[in-house]
Amino acid sequence: MTAVHLQEPGTLTVYGRAATAEWLRLRTVRSTWWCLLAAAVTIVGIGVIMAFDAENVTASGDLPPATAAGEFGVLLGQFALLVMVLLAVTQEYASGAIAPTLQWTPRRGVLLAARVTVPVLAAAVAAVLLAFVADVAAWLIADLSLSTGDVTDSLGRIAAVLVAGGVLAVGVGLFLRSTAGALATVFLLQLVLPFLLPAFGVQWMADLGELLPGSGAIWTLLGEPEMSAAQATTLLVGWSGVALVAGGWSLLRRDAG
Amino acid sequence: MIEVRGLTKQYGVIRAVDDLTFDVAPGKVTGFLGPNGAGKSTTMRMILGLDRPTAGSALVGGRPFATLAEPLHAAGALLDAGAVHPGRSGRDHLRVAARTHGIPQRRVDEVIDQVGLGPAARRRVKGYSLGMRQRLGIATALLGDPAVLLFDEPMNGLDLDGVRWIRRLVRGLADEGRTVLLSSHLMSEMEQTADHLVIIGAGRLIADASMHDVMRGENAQRRVRVRTPSVDELAGALLRRNLRVHPTDGGDLLVEGASPETVGDVALEVGVAVHRLAQEQSSLEQVYLDLTGDSVQYRVTETPEMVQR
Repeated sequence: MTAVHLQEPGTLTVYGRAATAEWLRLRTVRSTWWCLLAAAVTIVGIGVIMAFDAENVTASGDLPPATAAGEFGVLLGQFALLVMVLLAVTQEYASGAIAPTLQWTPRRGVLLAARVTVPVLAAAVAAVLLAFVADVAAWLIADLSLSTGDVTDSLGRIAAVLVAGGVLAVGVGLFLRSTAGALATVFLLQLVLPFLLPAFGVQWMADLGELLPGSGAIWTLLGEPEMSAAQATTLLVGWSGVALVAGGWSLLRRDAG
Repeated sequence: MIEVRGLTKQYGVIRAVDDLTFDVAPGKVTGFLGPNGAGKSTTMRMILGLDRPTAGSALVGGRPFATLAEPLHAAGALLDAGAVHPGRSGRDHLRVAARTHGIPQRRVDEVIDQVGLGPAARRRVKGYSLGMRQRLGIATALLGDPAVLLFDEPMNGLDLDGVRWIRRLVRGLADEGRTVLLSSHLMSEMEQTADHLVIIGAGRLIADASMHDVMRGENAQRRVRVRTPSVDELAGALLRRNLRVHPTDGGDLLVEGASPETVGDVALEVGVAVHRLAQEQSSLEQVYLDLTGDSVQYRVTETPEMVQR
């Protein structure tokens, strides 16, 4: 039996351990790998298809840069990665595993920090790597232009979209604590409504659609619909910020669940 | 050492735990008893910082559990054996726990051996029997070599060997000087294992006393078992003296709150033969039922026993 530990490790050490535990949690369930496989197939697959159809991608008929492959791929493929992030949060509420988790890391602020950073970073890194593979594939297939400047800029935007979407998913997941509910919410906000609302041809619906986080993500990836960089940034930061505050409140203040 | 002070938990209009105060001392097995819904699990969850008390506090080793940097060294717990990600292997579950404290891998394999999980540790938890999940939960509780252990119904789903194993384990942990809080519905098990009892009903403290005191308290009524060929005659005579008499399946009579002397004298008075006369010590089960009788929330309507008055 160990003596009482008088000297406790600092918060940074505790966070570091919680983060490595979070990383191991992510790696040791199959759903993570299924999501990554789905993301790989979607991102690279769509990129390759786009490369074969490169002359019809832009309205002007000019050939797009190879980085368009990764951007189109991530537009849809991000959802597989967001599901991965979401499951990392909500699966614990479904199985009750949140109770042991909080027994090992009872300082909830530390758990929140680890839970936001590790799955979200993993999703962003995966998206960047897969988009880069799609870019190179497009460059090889259709001989599209591939410059270092384009790649850096494109992958940076992709990382921003995944970080914003990932934080949104974590926040919604912590707040709703239900896989189905959180999944539906993130899908509607990030994909379905931004595409669906403008399609009705009613002005107020289109305006509403432009207030959703998915519109900011689409703009960041494709430069559509019409909005300024400041607007898009506000959407991404604002929505993920609100979701994080709501989810953080839920984790910090409510019973374990 | 666990110190619970005025602990209260209110869910809407229901007060699940009502102003509980008790200590759980080191070096002993403290049995935590109460009917379903009495608030045992909620109390344990509040001790571990999982649920926030409406009022009061609980300290583990002198500190609120939720403030600890290395909680697994302070307290290990098995609350709900099913609360594990079904898709992760038992070993990976333990490895994640170890990572949160920088506990080396060999300690993980050590506790896997200690609980006898063996090769099953590498299989996914979804294929585990309840008994295997209990063993995994106990391994997790032991991982940090903690000074305090909380077990909520650890014998559920275990076979006789498993139950005996838990009994020895719990005894050993207390003998090493650790604080052990153990809840169980198996009264005979509790009677054999616990040194001290905390009994709650409807969220309130009913008893906080040593096993010895509980078994000899006023609720531990004396009973006398008497065997006679003239059952009706003797029962009638005893009833006329306002004694409670229960017939048993074996044809004996159980007389509550009487001494063998009284029963023997009554038999002599009415002139019936007595073939056996013995004082019976109440079991923990009887004492417990008497103590918690008023607080039971979910009562099964029993077929009325032949209680004659």
